[in-house]
Amino acid sequence: MFYRLSGIYHTRYATARQLWPIPADRWQVYFLLLVGVAAPLIFSNFTLTSYLLPWLIFTAAALSLNLLMGVAGQLHFGFAAVMAIGAYTSIHLVRIGVPLEFALVGAGLMSALIGSVFGAAALRVKGLYLVMATLAMQYLVDWTIINVPAISGGAQATLQTPSTTFFFVPLRSDTARYYLALLWVLFVTLLILNIKRTSVGRALVAVRDKDYAAAVIGVNVVRFKLVAFFTSSFLGGVTGAVLAFCYYQAVTPEQFTFNVSVQLVAMVLVGGLGSVLGSYLGAGFVLLAPIALTNFAVYLNQMGWLNVSANLLSHIPLMIYGALIIGFLLLEPLGLGKIYDNVRKYLLVWPFRHSSM
Amino acid sequence: MKRLFKKLAGVTALGAAIAAGPALAQEPIKFATPLDFTAVYTFLTNEYSEGQRDYITLINERGGINGHKIEMSVSDTGNQPQRGIEAYNRASRDGVVMVDFLSTPVARAMVNRVLDDEIVMIMALHGRGDASDGKTFPYVFPLMATYWSQAALLIDHMNQNEGGLEGKKVAHVFIDSPFGREPIPVLEELSERLNFELRTFPYASPGNEQSATWSDVRRYRPDFVIIWGAGGGQAVSVRDAIRNGIKPEQIHSVVWLAEADMDTVGRDVAKGVRKFQAAVSGTDTPIIQDIIKEVIETGKGAGPRENVGRTYYNIGVATMAIVVEGARIALEEFGAPLTGDKLRQGMERISDFDAQGLIPPATFTEEDHQGGGFGRVAEWDGEQWAPLGDWHTSFQDVVWEEIREGAEEFRESRE
Repeated sequence: MFYRLSGIYHTRYATARQLWPIPADRWQVYFLLLVGVAAPLIFSNFTLTSYLLPWLIFTAAALSLNLLMGVAGQLHFGFAAVMAIGAYTSIHLVRIGVPLEFALVGAGLMSALIGSVFGAAALRVKGLYLVMATLAMQYLVDWTIINVPAISGGAQATLQTPSTTFFFVPLRSDTARYYLALLWVLFVTLLILNIKRTSVGRALVAVRDKDYAAAVIGVNVVRFKLVAFFTSSFLGGVTGAVLAFCYYQAVTPEQFTFNVSVQLVAMVLVGGLGSVLGSYLGAGFVLLAPIALTNFAVYLNQMGWLNVSANLLSHIPLMIYGALIIGFLLLEPLGLGKIYDNVRKYLLVWPFRHSSM
Repeated sequence: MKRLFKKLAGVTALGAAIAAGPALAQEPIKFATPLDFTAVYTFLTNEYSEGQRDYITLINERGGINGHKIEMSVSDTGNQPQRGIEAYNRASRDGVVMVDFLSTPVARAMVNRVLDDEIVMIMALHGRGDASDGKTFPYVFPLMATYWSQAALLIDHMNQNEGGLEGKKVAHVFIDSPFGREPIPVLEELSERLNFELRTFPYASPGNEQSATWSDVRRYRPDFVIIWGAGGGQAVSVRDAIRNGIKPEQIHSVVWLAEADMDTVGRDVAKGVRKFQAAVSGTDTPIIQDIIKEVIETGKGAGPRENVGRTYYNIGVATMAIVVEGARIALEEFGAPLTGDKLRQGMERISDFDAQGLIPPATFTEEDHQGGGFGRVAEWDGEQWAPLGDWHTSFQDVVWEEIREGAEEFRESRE
């Protein structure tokens, strides 16, 4: 009824295999895209810079990590370090005069290179052991940034992003920064949606499900594990650069600590492993729920409905946040993306309970 | 569409302004303090924030600053820059004139923004020391002695009062982070000037485990030890130092050492430990007495009474005392409504302000946002921090070299 499936006949392979074969899905995507593009006109500057911009950028980060963790099944607990490499590389490149367009690519390549070196551990180890290897990467990168003043930016360990342009548009206004972030997250989204339906994507999924079974059916496991680490680290590196230039505008080592890596993993898990929509929802939840809950608690306190100490007041949102994560994962272990999927599947055939197919 | 919205917003603002016209004189002054209550700075945030809020309550109870009440919002950022940015954007939308984050990563991410938006950001004992250069950072106020000034003052104290440094060995034991490394250039410069040997010993963050580092320190046989950390790591440093045969009198700490740490080490064991002091501890100063009388005893206190007068509580009071003084001058000189720019100029006109003896006499100018870099060394006597000597400054020439160098770099990168 809502999706109006009757009368949809795919007479060519191209239409049956497009990303959203059902018109209703397509219209939803178009609508969201329109909202995204028109956001600077619709929303206030405050909403744009405080919520939408970080949400988009962290979605790109979650998507990059999801390619590795959800699609290729390789756990990574040092993804913030990958982003840090990208952020620092891009800033240093722009400082020595490289245009931002190339600096972003350079940032991606540097992250991909270093990320793949540590990813090589994945050729030998799996699961928890791979977690340890990537954790080592996190701490090694942190240590290097802090201990090499040439990277971190001297005694203050703060690097300002130089003012620059992207395709002749100066990155001075919030709107310009927003559109660069939007462009990047759209690119990553389309890339991952498409990777998932190519031979590369299927090979990655085969490696995820059982690597020696994949080898038996002729998938080069070594190659595809490295491809997964390379691609994901490349995307992560560029995202780190976008995060630095469009959002933080000054990078310090504390912005890319282990905590951030855990947050990124949480975004992927809460959103749903391997789910593109889930990355959007997961990033939104992990990033914005604590902020919304904190503001709500402060509001209640100002209204005089919640009279507790400032200390407890700031911990209550954390408790609710933790309970929400557990609640969502109990409700649907496959994440927020899957919850949407369940609703959609139900509505696809509504008012009937099961599709005949 | 946007234009329409802007027009609408303009009309509403105009309406609001007309409606608020007569009430303008009593318009409240807005401060925002999104602090870190839940992550890294928890060791001091509670006391610090309680001090700030109690002082603001005291001012409001007395009728505000020249009739203007202060509205201060307190929230949590969890030490995360993105939450800090959200809180800051919210504050700047609401017309706040002063923000305080008490978190180095958050404050650093905010420097560009406050400079663009002309909102005063105070950075007492955190953030970037080079922001003392008021010409480069007009809206950023470190307010109290920077880490560089603290290191210089500790070295000066060893040199003047503890038998001289000529030919002696000084160990700098620090948490391996930008914060721990910050004083090293100043220490190196001074070791050349005063002819003492300096060696640095990092320990891994967060510093719960430092025994390996301290056995290295023991082998070095230092004459003086500087400990440079924060939070739980500080008590571990003191305990491990004493365990490794270093006398408490040899230990000199950065400002982050408080009563709670002494309890952890053992009040008697730690007797003799020295630290840098930026504000008087205890309840003897008139300003703290006033708070007890007019805020705590009337039941308007923001937190538990036993925190009043503790080290970080008093630092919180001191920060607000300086800002309120700046706001008072600004209102007298430029009139209401108070803006970030007026507040900045007011604060730059503060001279010899000591908050009735709570802090060393601070003087701010257009160039100097550190307030002179005063402090003193205090000794733990088993009960409280007893000052050794008077408020003074040390080697400000060396400190300002660092400040100018950092500011120069910042100016170049902002081009």
